[in-house]
Amino acid sequence: MAPPSVTSATVSANPLTYEDTHVHAIYEQIAPHFSSTRYKPWPVIAAFLSSLPTGWVGLDSGTGNGKYLPLPAENPSRVWTIGLDRSLNLLKIARNAGGVYREVVRADALDYPWRGGSFDYAISIATIHHLATHERRKQAIQRLLQAVSPSHGRILIYVWAVEQDNLSKREIPDGDDHHADEQPGKDVFVPWVLSSTSTVNDDRTAERVFNRYYHMFAKGELTQLVSDAAEEMGLHVGTKTENAGTRRGIIFKQDGWERSNYYVELHCWAS
Amino acid sequence: MVRLITHNLLACHVKGCTSNNFPLQLQNVQIELRDADFNADFLKTFLPKLEWKALVESAKELGDTSLPIEQPEMLDDDFLKNLHHVLLEIHIEEGNMICPNCKHSYPISNGIPNMLLAEHEIG
Repeated sequence: MAPPSVTSATVSANPLTYEDTHVHAIYEQIAPHFSSTRYKPWPVIAAFLSSLPTGWVGLDSGTGNGKYLPLPAENPSRVWTIGLDRSLNLLKIARNAGGVYREVVRADALDYPWRGGSFDYAISIATIHHLATHERRKQAIQRLLQAVSPSHGRILIYVWAVEQDNLSKREIPDGDDHHADEQPGKDVFVPWVLSSTSTVNDDRTAERVFNRYYHMFAKGELTQLVSDAAEEMGLHVGTKTENAGTRRGIIFKQDGWERSNYYVELHCWAS
Repeated sequence: MVRLITHNLLACHVKGCTSNNFPLQLQNVQIELRDADFNADFLKTFLPKLEWKALVESAKELGDTSLPIEQPEMLDDDFLKNLHHVLLEIHIEEGNMICPNCKHSYPISNGIPNMLLAEHEIG
């Protein structure tokens, strides 16, 4: 049987309620199955974590099953990554990721339960695309910018792309995209099929399909969103300048597309 | 899990609670001690980023008085071992973290601190 395909979604009502129904409630139910399919770290992310200086402490906002908490693999005690997620059932898996006790905190990606600028780095992998409005996605990036040191903080962000690679099994609806707020990208439901053997009829397998909400990012949308988020906070986007007025900023260290995702790496600077 | 490495970074984030909201006070805690890999280089680099007074106070709330009130200038092995133990080997399994300012209580259950707020409390 062909997997159920991706369908268009329209965000309605309060975005908080919408995310509760179409994101949070679903991850609570699919956590163990979801986790069993998420174990291989992506190379760009592994390389980022290996590049960090010894003694750095970081935040993984939307840690899920915590698969990045044990990295760098070659010397794991060199840095400490603290995992944040909204899903308690995913955190119960993350707290022992890689068979070692991890630091995890239950909170929303838009919460800020930290001393300001106390992290050296932050990663947000496949999380911001679950936020239901452009404004909330921008706020999530601002939380990352707040979390890290203004002078040396580094941030890595991954989000799902409209442009999918050939290996992806997903069929993406073309449809006309009329966004009320004229934002780029596509709002979609991505199905998760959960099989469980029924205890009533032991020869039957019950299948449940959960439609998770995603905002698929268009080409250029992530870098634009990051720039907007930074500028709104009074940060200069670009290299350190001699401008008397400019005191803090960010540079794009790298940005690209990998395996159906867009990513950016940001470095903060202060003069 | 919540160890003091994480606790030293957490602050209250209830709407309008922006001063004297750190460190969260530990109450009714149950702790477990578990060995962790010792890495002196990690500790030496991380040390200046700690809020030292908060760390010493919170360790005391957990019954550990091995750290000096003032950060020492010489980082000898004994000190680093104690710091390692306080930061990374004391796990808070159950309990509450209370904001010193607004008294909001963040529960810790099965080693997971719940920092979620009700909608009206979000800033």
